Amino acid sequence: MTRPRLHTSSSQAVGLVAFVLFGVLAAVFLTADFADAATFSGNADSVIEGIGYAMLNLDAGPFAETTDGFLITFELLGMALLAALVGAVMLGTRDDDGGDS
Amino acid sequence: MAVPVEYYLVFSTLIFCIGLFGILTRRNALFFLMSVELMLNAANINLVAFSFYHGNLTGQVFSLFTMALAAAEVAIGIGIILVLYRNFADVDVTRATTLRW
Repeated sequence: MTRPRLHTSSSQAVGLVAFVLFGVLAAVFLTADFADAATFSGNADSVIEGIGYAMLNLDAGPFAETTDGFLITFELLGMALLAALVGAVMLGTRDDDGGDS
Repeated sequence: MAVPVEYYLVFSTLIFCIGLFGILTRRNALFFLMSVELMLNAANINLVAFSFYHGNLTGQVFSLFTMALAAAEVAIGIGIILVLYRNFADVDVTRATTLRW
């Protein structure tokens, strides 16, 4: 039986750090004063439309003046996803001739 | 007027601290991956909330890119866990203490 097991016997006391961090951050956020939000001018459909235009660097749509273009990022992220796919296949391939990994 | 921005901040802090708690207390590598995903998505909530707060679409576009990077990270992470299980017959992160065996 070598299946993965749920370890519950280890010490959980270090998890108190997360609770303390939540308390501190929540206290900071709730005591800070934020100005009123600037809302979007268009409706929800125009927001989705603006995201699509901004992702492809098109100067169109209702948010063309305030939103940057992200075409370079889009293409780089495609390369990163391709590299991750190749890496996952390389890691997952089982070699039977006794090499490492 | 919509929900104030403090509520979004406290909500994303809660999700981030749940992820931090998981990383600090768990020993299973799959729980690590899930906790890292929680922390990344807490950052996405902040990006979308402040995009709405400033009336600017850049944050929403960027959160989409963050999700794609998280997908690449999970692909590599699951490949690493596969190799870890193949070499150590376990996914306990505290047992993989040697680089060569």
